[in-house]
Order: sequence, then C-alpha cells, then structure tokens
Amino acid sequence: MVVTILDVAIGGIMLGGIYALIAMGFSLQYGVARVLNIAHGEFIMLGAFITWTLYTVLGINPLLSLVIVGPAIFIIGFILQRTLFTRLRTSSPSPGAYEASSLLAAFGLLFVIQNVAILIWGADIRAYAYLSVPVNLGGAIFAANRLVALLFAVVIGVVFYLFLARTRMGKAIRAAAQDAATAGLMGININQVLALCFGLGALLAGVAGLLISMTFSFQPTMGLEYTIIAIIMVVLGGLGSIPGSFIGGFLLGLIGHIVTYFEPGLTLPSYYFIFTLLLLVRPTGILGK
Amino acid sequence: MLEVKNLSTFYGKIQALWDVSFSIKESEIMALVGANGAGKTTLLNTISGLLRPTSGSISFLGKRIDGLSPHTIVEMGVSHIPEGRKLFADMSVRENLEMGAYANRAWKNKGETLEQVYRLFPALKERESQLARTLSGGEQQMLAMGRGLMSRPKLCIIDEPSNGLAPKLVLEVFQIIKSLRDQGITILLVEQNVRHTLETADCACILENGRLALEGTCSALLEMEHVKKAYLGL
Ligand SMILES: Nc1ncnc2c1ncn2[C@@H]1O[C@H](COP(=O)(O)OP(=O)(O)OP(=O)(O)O)[C@@H](O)[C@H]1O
Ligand SMILES: [Mg+2]
Repeated sequence: MVVTILDVAIGGIMLGGIYALIAMGFSLQYGVARVLNIAHGEFIMLGAFITWTLYTVLGINPLLSLVIVGPAIFIIGFILQRTLFTRLRTSSPSPGAYEASSLLAAFGLLFVIQNVAILIWGADIRAYAYLSVPVNLGGAIFAANRLVALLFAVVIGVVFYLFLARTRMGKAIRAAAQDAATAGLMGININQVLALCFGLGALLAGVAGLLISMTFSFQPTMGLEYTIIAIIMVVLGGLGSIPGSFIGGFLLGLIGHIVTYFEPGLTLPSYYFIFTLLLLVRPTGILGK
Repeated sequence: MLEVKNLSTFYGKIQALWDVSFSIKESEIMALVGANGAGKTTLLNTISGLLRPTSGSISFLGKRIDGLSPHTIVEMGVSHIPEGRKLFADMSVRENLEMGAYANRAWKNKGETLEQVYRLFPALKERESQLARTLSGGEQQMLAMGRGLMSRPKLCIIDEPSNGLAPKLVLEVFQIIKSLRDQGITILLVEQNVRHTLETADCACILENGRLALEGTCSALLEMEHVKKAYLGL
C-alpha cells in the first residue's frame, strides 16, 4: 500500500512538474504576449523530436540536449513574435482584433510545424530508452529517467520563478503583463518584452517536450492534445496569473497521473470533468480575480 | 525645452487634436486646462509616444520625438505620470518604484533615487513590501508620482494628480509639484481644478474641443473675462 502511494506520488509529481512548465509557457504567451497559442503543443513535439534525433543520430545525452533544445526553440519563438505577431499586432485596429488574428495565425503555425515534422521524422510513434535502469526507493521501483525528469522539471520551474520574481527583465515581464502601455511609459521596450515572452513560452514547451520524450512515447501529431491540456491548466490556475498556471499545471498533472493509475481511459475525461466543475464553482480559476 | 508645433491626432477617423502649438521653457510649470473631453490626455499621450500624431512635430531639447516609441522618449528624460495612476497593482510598492527606474539612464542610480523618493513620500517607505493594490487612494497617487520620478526626468508630465483626493491631500500634491519645479524639473500639469492650478503654475494653455483656445502666463489668464466666466465660475 505504502509502496503504491509512493509509486503514484512520484509519477504524479513528475507529470505535474512537466505540466507546470507547459502551463507557464502557455500563460506567458497568452497573458503577456496576447497570443492564444494553439500551436503551443507543437513546440513540445519539436522539443521531443529534436532530443530524439540528437540522441539516436549523434548520441547526445538528452540532458545535455537541454542546452541545445532550449535556446533553439527560444530563438524560433522569438523570431516568430518579432516578425509574424508583431506585424499582426501593429496592423490590428484593436487589442480584440489582434487576439482573433493571432489565434488564426497560431492555427496556421500548428499545421505548418506538424506537417514539416511529419516530412522530416515520419508519422510513426517514437520512443527511446535512456536511463531506464530501475531505482528502488523505499520498496517502490522507478526508472531512473522518471526521477531525473522530476528533478529537472522542479529545478527549471524554480529557476523560472526566480527569474520572474527577482530580475530586472522578469519584473518588466510582470509589469507588461498587467499593463503594457504603462510599462512602455517606464522605459520598457514592449516589442522586445513580448518577443522574449513568446520565446520563453516556446522554450518551456520545448524543454517539457524533452522531459516527456525521456519517459513517454511521442509522435508528430501529439501537440494538440497538450495544447488543450494547457488551456485547461491555465484556466484552472486563473487566466493571466503565472503562479496560477504553475499551480494549475501541477494539480492537473498530479490528478491525471492518479486517474491514469486506476483507469488510463479516464484521464482525458477527468481533465474535462475538472474543467467543467471549475467553471461552475469558480469561473475565475484558483488564483484569478 | 519642449516645442509642440501644429499637432493633430486622430482616433481612427475621429480627430481629437487640431493644430495645437505651444512650448515650455526649462524649470517652469506649464498647466494644461480644459473641460472633460477637451483633449488634454490625448495631447499628453501624443507627447509621450503612446499615440502617434498624424501631422505636426514635437521637439524635446532640440530633438524631434514625434513618432518615437514611449521607451525611447523616457530614455531622453521625459516622464509621464498617467491619468488614473495606472499602478502595477499586483507588484509591491518597491517593485513599482523599481519599474519607474527601468530606463538605462536611471537604472544605475536607482538606489540613490529611491532614497530621494522615500524622503519625499515617507509613507511609501513604510509600505515598501505591500502590494500596490492595497494602498489607499492618496498613497496610490504618491506611488504614481514617486514612480514617475524614479526615471530622473528633466520633463515630468502629470495627468490629473489630484483626481479623487481629499482637499488636504490636493494641497499637498500641489506643494510637491512646486518643490519639483524648484529642484529644476520642468512640469507639464493637467488639472481639473482651474483656480488652484493657475495659482500654482507659471504659464498655462487652455484647450477647447481639441483646439488651443488661450495661452499665456497664469497671472494674465486669471484676469481674462473668458477665463473668469468659463473656468472660474465668476
Ligand atoms: N481611445 C479612444 N478612442 C476614441 N476616442 C477617444 C479615445 N480616448 C479619448 N477619445 C476622445 O477624444 C476626446 C478627447 O479625450 P481626452 O481623454 O483627451 O480628454 P481629456 O481632456 O483628457 O478629458 P478628461 O478631463 O475627462 O480626462 C474625447 O472626445 C474622447 O471621447
Ligand atoms: Mg484626461
């Protein structure tokens, strides 16, 4: 019994940590850059496939890939915001019009990235074995890669939180999230901050994809499911609140893993159930206003 | 110091400013008065780069600033304390002040500037770690002003600082604005309270329906029949 609880808890915390990264990334893109990024899951998929290629073709250790995958996906996101989304934003007559046009652009991005991925990597389901040696923790047996993924998810989450809470740029991001025009009056370069947010959001998704690839299987069409989960998590935590999205992501991952343990077929329905329940009981989310 | 020439600004197809020209000299308080909807905030937002003029020019210390983005204009020494305070409600008092010093020209010296702002507004120091949303209305205005000063401006644009404050605090706000001028900061002040404003400022512009109706020294304006009738209720 104790062993089972430990087993479920460790798996749940790992999935919660990964989901928290995904949710924070989505929240940065929506809450600050005002892009409801339907293609968020594609960046997770890219992270997984780039890691897989580096590992199987070049033999690069997935954890080492962090320093390649993270910056590469950050740059893709940064450039997308600087070109595509900045142009849409400056040509939109109102913030509402921009939210609509950026949503459509993100939809387009989803299909482009997914199809390019199918061209490069094929449509098959992939997986690889890395650090799959069993580790015995108080009687519960885990693959070592789960513990490593858990550790990395938590460390990256904490580093990211400290970045937002303590640094000059992190505070500028929070200020821009609350009131972009006034942030500009403080001397903050808004276009730069928005591009940074979009890039960081993509980076978090890519890193989550890397961690996912260490422990789960993946395929080019996996993205949309993760995007839907991201939307649920961000609404759960409270739209616009980055700490909220962290909590929402962590909770949903934890609950999802527990449900999966008992009945894998019920995982997605349980997410929708939580989502619907929340909308009825507390429509603003856990930390929303 | 600031030179505005033939400025026109539109919201979409609606014109809000018509051919406005005026200038501000160094170390003076220029007041901008006018009825609700006259275009005062529109004029300030155009100067600080939040809105783009469709024609006309704005020069600050001899350099054209119209068409530049707000962060570049702040970097040149213009600070805009916006209407309605616009604090970062979910950040602490101290973080709000730090954001005020975000510009590169102010960031290096932010510790020193922070001391000065705390000396000017001691209540803010006591509430340093409180979230801005939890402050009283008066404290919020103090924070908005303190935040605007953190960028070490040469020109400080202030939009209706006394709005919603108790009479005693209104006097205090005007007192502080005078002391800023005496420290050498040039002020462009928008206020509803015309009598008080004309008694505090050095010069004033009066906007009516987006057009500059009158301009002059405050003592001269206070004597004018039109001003007395329309703005002082005499
Ligand atoms: N965002 C906007 N879109 C369209 N019209 C606007 C916008 N903001 C202001 N206006 C219009 O422009 C005109 C000038 O408004 P502005 O806010 O500059 O006036 P104001 O003198 O600052 O008034 P108040 O004393 O009420 O602050 C008004 O007719 C107003 O309705
Ligand atoms: Mg106004």
